[in-house]
Amino acid sequence: MAIDPTDVPRFAHGSRIPGWDESADLEKSPLEVPDPATTHVPDDLRAEIEAHVAKYPPDHSRSATIPALWAIQRRYGWCTPEGIEQAACVLRLTPAELSAVATFYDMLDTSPTERNRVYVCTNISCSLRGADELLETFREHAEGEPDVHVRGFECLGACDIAPMASVNGTYVGPLDADDVPTLLRQLRDGEEPLPEKQLARRPSADPKAREPQS
Amino acid sequence: MPRPIREMVTFTLDGREVTAPESTMLVDAALEYGDVEIPVFCYEPKIGPPVGACRMCLVEIEGVPKLQAGCSVPVKDGMIVHTNTPRVKEAQEGVVEFLLINHPLDCPVCDKGGECPLQDKSFGWGSGISRTVEPKRHFEKPLALSPLIAIDRERCIMCYRCVRFSQEVSEDHQLVLQERGADTFVTTFDGHPYVAPFSGNIIELCPVGALTSRPYRFRARPWDIEQAGSICMLCPAQCNVSFTVRDERVLRVLQRDHEGVDNGWLCDKGRFAYQAIHVDERVTEPLIRDGGTLRAVPWELALETAAAALRRAGGRVAALAGGETTNEEGFLLQSLVRDALGSPDVDSRRGGTLPLELHRALVAPALQASVPDLQYAHAVLVLDTEPVDDIPILDLRIRRGVRHQGVRLFVATSRPSSLDDRARGIVRYAPGAGEAFLAALDAALTGEGDVDALAGAAGADADAVRRLADGLRDAGEEVVVLWGERLTAGPRGADAARALLNVAARLGLAGRDGAGLLEVPSAANGRGLREVGVLPNAGPGLCEPSAEGRDADGIAAAAAAGEIAALYLLHTDPLLDQPSRRAWGAALEKASTVIAHAAFLTEGIAEHATVVFPAESHAEKEGTVVHPDGRVQRLRRAIGRQGDVRGEWQVLAELAARLGADPRVLTASMVSQRLFDAVPFYAGLTLDEIGGRGVRWPEREQAGALPTAALGPFALEAPPAAATANGRLRLGAFRSIWAAPEVAASPALSFLRPLQRAELSPADAERLGLRHGERVVVASNGHSVSALVHLRQAAPEGSVFLESGIAEHSAANLDGPLVEVRRA
Amino acid sequence: MTDHLLFSNIDEPGLRTIDVYERRGGYGSLRKALATPREELIETLKGSGLRGRGGAGFPMGLKASFLPKGDMQKYVVVNADESEPGTFKDRELMQKNPHQLIEGIVIAAYAVDATISFIYIRGEYVHQADVLEAAIAEAYERGYLGENVLGSGFTLSLAVHRGAGAYICGEETGLLDSLEGKRGNPRLKPPFPANQGLFQGPTLINNVETLSTLPHIVELGSERYAEIGVQNSAGTKLISVSGQVRNPGNFEIELGMSSREIIFGLAGGTFEGREIKLWFPGGSSSPVLTKDDLDLPYDFDTMAKAGTMLGSGAIIVVDDSTSVVDVALKVATFYAHESCGKCTPCREGTSWTRKMLTRVKDGSATPMDLDIMASVQERIIGNCLCVLGDAMAMPIGSMIAKFRGEFEDHIERVRAEQERAILAGVSG
Ligand SMILES: Cc1cc2nc3c(=O)[nH]c(=O)nc-3n(C[C@H](O)[C@H](O)[C@H](O)COP(=O)(O)O)c2cc1C
Ligand code: SF4
Ligand code: FES
Repeated sequence: MAIDPTDVPRFAHGSRIPGWDESADLEKSPLEVPDPATTHVPDDLRAEIEAHVAKYPPDHSRSATIPALWAIQRRYGWCTPEGIEQAACVLRLTPAELSAVATFYDMLDTSPTERNRVYVCTNISCSLRGADELLETFREHAEGEPDVHVRGFECLGACDIAPMASVNGTYVGPLDADDVPTLLRQLRDGEEPLPEKQLARRPSADPKAREPQS
Repeated sequence: MPRPIREMVTFTLDGREVTAPESTMLVDAALEYGDVEIPVFCYEPKIGPPVGACRMCLVEIEGVPKLQAGCSVPVKDGMIVHTNTPRVKEAQEGVVEFLLINHPLDCPVCDKGGECPLQDKSFGWGSGISRTVEPKRHFEKPLALSPLIAIDRERCIMCYRCVRFSQEVSEDHQLVLQERGADTFVTTFDGHPYVAPFSGNIIELCPVGALTSRPYRFRARPWDIEQAGSICMLCPAQCNVSFTVRDERVLRVLQRDHEGVDNGWLCDKGRFAYQAIHVDERVTEPLIRDGGTLRAVPWELALETAAAALRRAGGRVAALAGGETTNEEGFLLQSLVRDALGSPDVDSRRGGTLPLELHRALVAPALQASVPDLQYAHAVLVLDTEPVDDIPILDLRIRRGVRHQGVRLFVATSRPSSLDDRARGIVRYAPGAGEAFLAALDAALTGEGDVDALAGAAGADADAVRRLADGLRDAGEEVVVLWGERLTAGPRGADAARALLNVAARLGLAGRDGAGLLEVPSAANGRGLREVGVLPNAGPGLCEPSAEGRDADGIAAAAAAGEIAALYLLHTDPLLDQPSRRAWGAALEKASTVIAHAAFLTEGIAEHATVVFPAESHAEKEGTVVHPDGRVQRLRRAIGRQGDVRGEWQVLAELAARLGADPRVLTASMVSQRLFDAVPFYAGLTLDEIGGRGVRWPEREQAGALPTAALGPFALEAPPAAATANGRLRLGAFRSIWAAPEVAASPALSFLRPLQRAELSPADAERLGLRHGERVVVASNGHSVSALVHLRQAAPEGSVFLESGIAEHSAANLDGPLVEVRRA
Repeated sequence: MTDHLLFSNIDEPGLRTIDVYERRGGYGSLRKALATPREELIETLKGSGLRGRGGAGFPMGLKASFLPKGDMQKYVVVNADESEPGTFKDRELMQKNPHQLIEGIVIAAYAVDATISFIYIRGEYVHQADVLEAAIAEAYERGYLGENVLGSGFTLSLAVHRGAGAYICGEETGLLDSLEGKRGNPRLKPPFPANQGLFQGPTLINNVETLSTLPHIVELGSERYAEIGVQNSAGTKLISVSGQVRNPGNFEIELGMSSREIIFGLAGGTFEGREIKLWFPGGSSSPVLTKDDLDLPYDFDTMAKAGTMLGSGAIIVVDDSTSVVDVALKVATFYAHESCGKCTPCREGTSWTRKMLTRVKDGSATPMDLDIMASVQERIIGNCLCVLGDAMAMPIGSMIAKFRGEFEDHIERVRAEQERAILAGVSG
């Protein structure tokens, strides 16, 4: 149950935090709310963000910030600066405000990331059942996989299938070392990850809940 | 909106009874009324409500189990508070310890050392020993956050003040926190610099040395500087400042919090343009033109040359005073011109004067709104002015009112305003069509008159005008109209002024507390200069002059026609300051003598002045000025005059003496005294009374001495319709906050010097086949300027906006109202 | 009296669809509620004794009664962030019986007169959010949501808001900021959400399980519901049991059941030959208990008396094969990672503790560091803006207090090993 300093790429562990050493680029101009007259936003992206805005009361379009960032991440693979500017233009916010939000949340990536995201839970309940070793196995096997991003993650809310992972949002577990190569192959081939180990198909552990009552 | 009236409550503080206004935050109540300091870091009421983040201010309140953050607990009657129990001490030591875990303690090389709240609080409330052996964070430092601000992230204690300022005060939303937890850091998006009109305030807000001024870095230590309070004279906002002085040099400008003026904020021009005081380009000795070039000469020669030329002109003299002129200087100037030279031609406005009646009406005490009124009104209408450019600090005041007091903001301008996003209603009208817009608004307010036709004449949307009328009426009684002097410039200025008074009358603003008009003059002391008689049709105290003279436009025309031999320019270069560059080009060309008081040899001065007297900087001046809301404020000398500079009042008095009308003033304060005696509504004022806070004369009893004038409503003729474009575009001019000689002259600010750009709507650009960033020529009547296309979604179709007040390619080169825009 | 309310029929195929839910009598409670005057409904909720299931255990009906009456826009927000390590009960409720939750939301919104509601679900729960969205669409279609719900004149909108991975967004005010599109930093309280919550409007915010219980309370009536469970801990509760047990999972129990019965009876107990070293009774932020505490009844008051808390009802079992140092380091690492950074004691205290524990782990600490660490926990507890700091400091403090010997032994042992290794290196 060792702690791997690179486990959680939020850099809480070392003292070198990306961004901390960065100076502003004095050649750039300051960035205000992007003007629609000079910011190109793809029509479908604009429509998607506006549909999210519509879910919130008028005057509270800012609530669509996280949904808009999700839209950007889905579209560009990560929250690219251009994407953030586009979303900011639709939401009438500064890109800085969106980046402040994006960097607060673990699932939004603000640097280039592979498209297949495998989050291996390494929090306490999973690690009591071998999650740290599982993550290691994932790392070894994923080495050189071009489109897979493996990272340790905080409790994913599935300690009943520990050790487990979220594969592009699909929860699978309990996992053992043998599952790792299978899973990676499935990702390569565009197949569903470990269908028989998916949480969505798992019955409740509660014995009484299992017997249907009248 | 009624301002909160607060009852006094009594609470117990460390065993003593303390009485303070109800709902004052505990830390303030303790300090102000109980003389007990509860340490704070994140708390800064100027920014907004407390956030309770740093936890430095924990105190014990009886009956509450947990320690409470004193910054966010309002005092209540009977509350029993302890600030020095062992529990509180333990918690405060804890917070200091936590803050220092990662703080580098590099105080010996830190600019903040000696004036650092973290130092003070660690000393006062920390345990003095460190229990941590963990290595501290180490980063590169300092880094540039902008050309003006350096950031040292190691030192940051995450108090949030700077980002809260950017989010909640200036609302530029450029400075943010990124990442989370102990990794959080202050930054901007994707490496963009934090450049915004008010960015420098974060330097003063930062309680540690994390944000420092790049121009000030390592220039001085707190123990070898002095602070000198005065007034910033770089725009009409007249913020209260404190100059940091070392060896007769201004090294820094800090705010000197005044609730009635600036709320403790400064714009970056006011904060950094002090550099212009000490640059080589500054004129620091008298010059006279000698064979085409200006040459330094002894004072005596310069004075005699000027006096001789004025004598020669034999009454064919005219004078203009610019914004930095103090009341005293303006008073002496008009006296010099009127009494010593026998000419009635003096002016201080841009683009023509108004009938004396209207000048009086517009400063009528009953109609004057104050700066705090902007914050507490039910509604604020911003009319024909862009506060952030014209009177920057009021932009923050308006935002504060909207954010914290729920003020309803309305904007009526030609050019899109940076306040649009905060406004409940916006009306756009054609550049120069303010009069027609006001007539339409008047019609909508009274229900009489043809709103559609009048709005049409203004080039405005009639429904938007109606919504504005409804909005103003529904908001409540206290309405403040913040209007720009340019509304009343030009040949129809008087009609526009009457239209404005009509609207004020319909809204019932006269005599109503918390409501009224607030004019943004186009020059820093614009209001004061009018009141002391620098107008062609008004003498000191807005009395009738013995003879009526020509206004600025008239002077230009007369000079160009050879009717004026000598022009006296006090702190103004008409090529930069007056609307028509060409008219003034011709005037200066033709005048045989041009005497100028100037700090910089701007184009008009460099090419045309025959005598140049070095002008004092605002840090060297003494005297008084009048804030747009009628507050008489006092300038005090912070540093000795640089080089050979002399007090300008002395120069004016000396010239008058040489010309046979000795004003007999031996000291600056004698001039002030003479002025107070000459202006009936200033009567009885003293410099001591004005002091460091100023005095609003409209609130004084003597205000009744202002000659009364009709306040309307007036019957008005139909305003002319704005020019229709048919293919061409209407020209709108604006002057940005950065279009000032001091900005160009200050090395730290010169990167902000504006370049000409043509602001266009996307629809017009498309019609003209122009793209963003492309170079274009904007032309009218055979004159043209070059500019880069700048598309703005909010720009109204049919207009193009160009910058004036810049040296090259200024909008003042063009005549308007219609121009042609084509690819260069 | 049944001890299965929330979980009854939970595995019935198709329960997540509105047809099956309705067939099981679903939305009957809503009809009943809509026919009840608001004040009476709130009295029912108060009388039921239902305490919040999200962690703080605040009486649900009382909280609902705090919302001001009047015309202002009010909101109901469902806390489906479920990020407390060891907790996974809301997940199962949302995934398998979304309409039970929706019905509870509409009842609550009607009770407090709110017309706009949101479910804030953690971003990781993709499947559950999809299920909820489908169910919400069905509910709109059948008139349980939207304008004029079931002809009652009451209107309610409901939308799912997906988070993006931040534990602090489970804290109710952090959640509200996040829902408003900001960083999920907790707010200063007061004002409490009941007065100024979402968009500054009065807001009722409750956990998924809390709201899923409402249809049952309405159906049974407050008295019958209050009879379930024990004094001050009415009703049934979902317990997530995880860690070193044979049969981890969610179980619905009647509050007051013995802890041993939950861990051994329902979750199958420890693995062959293992003994319980310590257990977290209410998620990783609850102070730990030991095997001596297994016979305590599992309810709010008993846990509080034992110096810990029932929290979210997540029991994490750690057996004697695991070092307490590792457990403490995991816990500290998690909270340091999740601290939002807004207030000083939490931001600095959690990461300092993590660093100290790392030194304990690698043997470079001394027993004096354990004292410093204990004092640091004291300086965090009660002094932060929200209780995330306490959520680390309390369990860490309890581990240092209860297992000090093991920490010291660990330091000793690693030191000795390192010395041996060095000596071996020198001699070899
Ligand atoms: C750091 C922190 C995290 C929390 N996380 C959750 C959570 O994930 N889910 C939840 O329902 N409540 C969580 N809570 C509790 C909420 O703040 C709040 O008490 C709860 O949503 C109220 O609902 P209830 O009364 O129905 O329990 C958390 C509290 C804190 C301090
Ligand atoms: S940079 Fe200064 S003002 Fe900004 S958060 Fe850090 S300490 Fe506070
Ligand atoms: S000053 Fe009170 S918490 Fe910072």
